[in-house]
Amino acid sequence: MSWGGFKKAATRAGTQLMQKTGQVERTVDHDFAEQESKYRTMEKESTGLQKDAKTYLDAMRTMSSSQERIAETISLFYTADKASEGAMAGHAYKAAVDELDNVVTRDLDGPFRATVLEPVGRLNQYFTNVNAAIEKRNHKLIDYDASRSKVRKLVEKPSDDTVKLPRAQAEHDEAREIYELLNDQLIAELPQMVELRVPFLDPSFESMVRCQLRFADEGYEKLSGVQRYFSENIRDDYANGQLDVQVENVLAEMKELAIYGV
Amino acid sequence: MKGFGKALSRTPHQLTSRMGMSKKSTDAEYNDWERKFAAVESASEKMHKDSVVFRDAVTTLLTSGSSFSGSLATLFSPIGAEYDLLAKFPQAEATVKNISAYQRLMEELRDTLAPELELIDRQIVQPSKELNEICKRIRKTCTKRDHKLIDYDRHNNSLNKLRSKEKKSLSDEKNLFKVEQDFELASGEYEHYNNLLKTELPTFLQMATRFVDPLFHSFYFMQLNVYYLMQEKLQSFADGKYDLERRDIENIYLEQQGDVAEQLDNLNITHRIASTAKLLQQSRGGAGLSAKPSIGSKAALDRKESVGSSYGGRTVAAPPPPYSSSAGAASAIAGKKAPPPPPPLKPKPAVAPKLYCTAIFDYEAQAQGDLSFSAGDRIELVERTDSAEDWWTGKLNGVQGIFPGNYTQVD
Repeated sequence: MSWGGFKKAATRAGTQLMQKTGQVERTVDHDFAEQESKYRTMEKESTGLQKDAKTYLDAMRTMSSSQERIAETISLFYTADKASEGAMAGHAYKAAVDELDNVVTRDLDGPFRATVLEPVGRLNQYFTNVNAAIEKRNHKLIDYDASRSKVRKLVEKPSDDTVKLPRAQAEHDEAREIYELLNDQLIAELPQMVELRVPFLDPSFESMVRCQLRFADEGYEKLSGVQRYFSENIRDDYANGQLDVQVENVLAEMKELAIYGV
Repeated sequence: MKGFGKALSRTPHQLTSRMGMSKKSTDAEYNDWERKFAAVESASEKMHKDSVVFRDAVTTLLTSGSSFSGSLATLFSPIGAEYDLLAKFPQAEATVKNISAYQRLMEELRDTLAPELELIDRQIVQPSKELNEICKRIRKTCTKRDHKLIDYDRHNNSLNKLRSKEKKSLSDEKNLFKVEQDFELASGEYEHYNNLLKTELPTFLQMATRFVDPLFHSFYFMQLNVYYLMQEKLQSFADGKYDLERRDIENIYLEQQGDVAEQLDNLNITHRIASTAKLLQQSRGGAGLSAKPSIGSKAALDRKESVGSSYGGRTVAAPPPPYSSSAGAASAIAGKKAPPPPPPLKPKPAVAPKLYCTAIFDYEAQAQGDLSFSAGDRIELVERTDSAEDWWTGKLNGVQGIFPGNYTQVD
């Protein structure tokens, strides 16, 4: 912070303190307060939106990449017997999830970024500047309040120095001018910006639904082909819980081995 | 402590065998099985880890999807007192109409898939963790076998050394018996573990295949179900709402985008603010330009007013500073140092108390209490200040009100 900036900050902190103790009157602009609170709601939700969209994309990518690794692991189990039925199905599964991962990285990641993630990010980028404008307006308001109180004091208790009052008056006028300029601009433009979120985000909604649907579509389509490599009874065995019983039984058998319990 | 002693006695042998000074036996058959076991061992660990990753990714997908739809629903409904969003942005009608259904859908999806995720946890994650633990115990047996092999080699070496010694001392002879016994013991133990592993590792590996078959099949159906349920729900939502023949997501987006981004960019507040000095200069400069006969427009007047701040904020919706532009307040500020914009025409200084002025431009009331007039009207002056850059009070057709002095010329 520059020396000038520091001096300003210190003076403003003093004014704020005096406002708290009631020595300096504080200007409250309800119109601005209303617009600001609307803007804050939008800021919060839109920031959340960006975070969730990023998490969603990452989750899609993790889903397909973890499936790829699972397929590799399954083929490891079959290293001893590469020609078995299970190994063949494992192979088909591997091919399916590879394709799925390809679709996700090639056809889904880019569009998702371009139509959901980046637009929301672009909108959110503006928040920095808007917040700076609001902060500046708040600072100028403090300056204005301080200068007004100074003029009032000089009017109530005139100083011997005749230059003081006109000078304070001029300072007051300028502070007010700047404050009003910034305040009016925010009051005029904040609602415009808040409103524009609707048409701005609107196309991203359809894109999001389309990306989600595409992901589910591809996942279902690619995976369902693998079933052909399973024997006929497996689907029913799964539905009846037979497969779980088999897993449990094998684990129990393993625990009976001498090499397990030595 | 026993383990430590054992480790200590094995170390010298391990060193010498590594340097090739003492013989180390290998069992090719065992090594082969051990390698295969190691593959399953690492596979069981990976399986456990990746099934956890997959399960968590699905959970994250569902929760972030649901929270995304929540934020979106809030953003598409009016914030505070926003009326008629749809009338302003008719293009967003479909979205606004569908957003709550979408939010419900995402929550439904999360709830529908919860049991499926539980299933993955119970039937995939847990069993592969168990397998992993079994592997760890078997690995322990392998390590034990390796230690016994070291003992075997160690005793074998010392026995051979003693036997090949040509001149044996008395203590050597005594030792020979003990070493022979040790060797016998070590060889028995090693044989036991080695054979045990050689017979049971193949059984275990065969079991592992029997384990992975149903596990893989279950996992496959669970994954398929996850995609299926997502697909079904989303399809039922999107059906009839969107043209599902088209898949070029980016083009569809671009077609709908419009110029909203530009509009946002055109706002002043979305850009870094210039220094206030610059801002002031701009607004003052703008006021100078605005003093053209097109003054009637509100924007021009707004800019104008920010200059002669005696009537600042007059036309703004809710002005914080007092509006009453009484002569007192006005004259207090009349001596302002701000350079006034060039007035349309120089008003003559008021000399006589004869009080009439003629309008040179049209003026329409911007707020209550303003006096409207057209160019050419003669206005009776009720109250005026020395400066034309101020609000004067006048009467026209029996109506009294205030008006900007520089819109008129004093007769």
